[in-house]
Amino acid sequence: MEQLTSPSDRLIRVLQWVWLAVAFLLVGGIIAWILHLIRTAWSLGDTPSASIGISIVAIPIFVVFMGVVFYVFWGVSGHGRER
Amino acid sequence: MALWGMVIDLDRCTGCQACVMACKAENNVPAVGAKEAKKGRVISWMQVLTETDEEHHGEKTRFIPRPCLQCDDPPCTKVCPVYATYRNPDGIVAQIYARCIGCRFCMAACPYNAKYFNWHTYQKEQPGQNPDVSVRPKGVVEKCTFCHHRLQKARERALAEKRDFDPNDYVTACAQACPAQAIVFGDLSDPASAVSKLAASPRAFKLLEELGTKPKVIYLSEGEGRG
Amino acid sequence: MAEIDDPHEQTLLAPIAHTGAGFYWAVAGLSLLILWGVLAYSVQFSEGLGVTGLHQPVSWGFYVTNFVFFIGISHAGTLISAILRLSKAEWRRPITRMAEVITVMVLFIGAGQILIDLGRPDRLMNVIRYGRYQSPLLWDATSISAYMTASLTYLYLPMIPDIAILRDRLGKRKLLYSVLALGWTGTKHQQRILNRAIAIMAVLVIPIAISVHSVVSFVFSMTLQPMWHSTIFGPYFVVGAIFSGIAALIVAMILFRKAYGLQDYLKPIHFRYLGQLLLIMACLWFYFTFAEYLTGYYGAEPEEMKVFWAKLTGPFWPFFWGMALCNFIIPMLCLVSLSRHTIGKVLAASLSVVVGMWLERFIIVVPTLSFPRLPFAEGIYAPTWVEWGETAGSFGIFALFYLLFTKFFPIISIWEIREGREGVKEVEERLISYLPGEVEEKT
Repeated sequence: MEQLTSPSDRLIRVLQWVWLAVAFLLVGGIIAWILHLIRTAWSLGDTPSASIGISIVAIPIFVVFMGVVFYVFWGVSGHGRER
Repeated sequence: MALWGMVIDLDRCTGCQACVMACKAENNVPAVGAKEAKKGRVISWMQVLTETDEEHHGEKTRFIPRPCLQCDDPPCTKVCPVYATYRNPDGIVAQIYARCIGCRFCMAACPYNAKYFNWHTYQKEQPGQNPDVSVRPKGVVEKCTFCHHRLQKARERALAEKRDFDPNDYVTACAQACPAQAIVFGDLSDPASAVSKLAASPRAFKLLEELGTKPKVIYLSEGEGRG
Repeated sequence: MAEIDDPHEQTLLAPIAHTGAGFYWAVAGLSLLILWGVLAYSVQFSEGLGVTGLHQPVSWGFYVTNFVFFIGISHAGTLISAILRLSKAEWRRPITRMAEVITVMVLFIGAGQILIDLGRPDRLMNVIRYGRYQSPLLWDATSISAYMTASLTYLYLPMIPDIAILRDRLGKRKLLYSVLALGWTGTKHQQRILNRAIAIMAVLVIPIAISVHSVVSFVFSMTLQPMWHSTIFGPYFVVGAIFSGIAALIVAMILFRKAYGLQDYLKPIHFRYLGQLLLIMACLWFYFTFAEYLTGYYGAEPEEMKVFWAKLTGPFWPFFWGMALCNFIIPMLCLVSLSRHTIGKVLAASLSVVVGMWLERFIIVVPTLSFPRLPFAEGIYAPTWVEWGETAGSFGIFALFYLLFTKFFPIISIWEIREGREGVKEVEERLISYLPGEVEEKT
């Protein structure tokens, strides 16, 4: 089994964290956007109920995505290196 | 708050198109040219729809002037993704040209085809235009606004003259121009106003009333020759 | 595990390791299509939407049709692969990856159609700044972004062990593969985590996929327009989406089977199963179409009937009957008996369904706009070269991205095939456990 001991090991680590950060930024951005839409609808009195109803379904789904991605990232890369 | 509305007496309409021309001049509605018109891209906020009477085929033509009907429950504002069209506190369905992304969802949703799209840059700002109305760029939707700028001007004038705003100071260009006085404009919330009285007439009807859009343009059906 | 040198796997790695002349010819051909699309869009961008055939009242045409069509195709992948994975269908193994890639590629292209359709693409940011959830377009935006995230994740997770194989076996792009493989070495612990994550995503992705095409249909059915305002539209669109998705998947499978010599992996049996699935969807699609049109016809509301007859006998009759032919009659004839010439028949049916479903989307979008409630502004729609170019370009981009993907990652999941081979015993035991009272006897 090839152990990650080459000089570029550190670079690979960093890039993997960047990769995870991009994924989180994307999903986090979408959640922030949904919250922003609720705020806009609230301040304009423009059927905030629709925004809240949709966000109740949408936000948990995106949170689960983040959870799954993080779970795999942590489990696979963390424990794989220890071995 | 006033509820601006319009009554159009079809018995009086002669189909002269004065309302159409007055509207075009007042609101800087572009002339798109023959080539574009042939493609079905005429922009005409006020449009005189013509219909041949079915019972007297070929003998009698009916005219139905159609501005935006300024629905109280507008199907177009619901679907706008960016709040570029909305029902403002005066009950007028407003368009924000600077915000419209040109998705044309409101056009697809309007059952009256009262919305128009700027397929090209049809005009630029130039002398001779009404300075109170902005010239629309390409790629946005526009429609009749009940000459909303006139309401703003009337309010400002009342303020400057330190008096209360008189609803009679505000009239749309089409109502003003109609030589047959077929178009009456005013405040529907005031039961004493001319529009309110006419709207209560047994001849009064609304276009596609069954859709529940609650239009604030009310028609008076032709009294004779229909039976 | 990754060290086992299996001669079978050389076939799957070959397209990544070596690139032949055929690839460059394909790229050149697709680039021409894309160039046409780019030219069309640049003209439209500078001149305005007036260069298209759109007008009053047909303000939506090819672009919206393409949007619905491409988003529909995207249901090929993730949905089918998730259902097959969850139902433990063993024959799925060489298919899932291809399906998932279609989803991801086509979703971006489908969402892009809306951008192309905008009169003011420069103001796209307004949707983010001023978006309002009362508009079905925002439902689309949310649902599609959820589906995009889900299907990207769902494509990526099962690819991790394969990327590790590439990292260890392939000389090139070592950094890319090392980063993406996340240090995968194939330990039991890693496998358990990955399998659990894939299972969660497979469960999650099914309702999201259904929501996507439901809200795409809501763009139409939420309006008051005749033959759009229909409660059946949500499931009708979903059925059509899965239908066209399977067809697109079959076409892609046959193309890559030929191009990369995957006959050993994609056997006639796979096409027979998919063909049967396609046949079922054709029947389901027919049922929905029948229900939709019969309801309209029997109610006979005058405004509905105007659109109805425009489709059946009016100016849109070639599209309507073309749709019926392509979506039902041809698939029926091709797919009822698949014992001989399986692949040829399945290919013919699939190509026909892809065309037919595009016509179906067109026949839903345009005639309603052509014949509005107030009968004064009727108009027929004829696209110009701009719309044709954009459509050709969209197909070109899809094919090109797909092709490029196969040059970076194996198009058939190597570890899943291997797992299938190693798990024959397990499957046999599972099958036996289905039978009443057989467990003791056989084991």
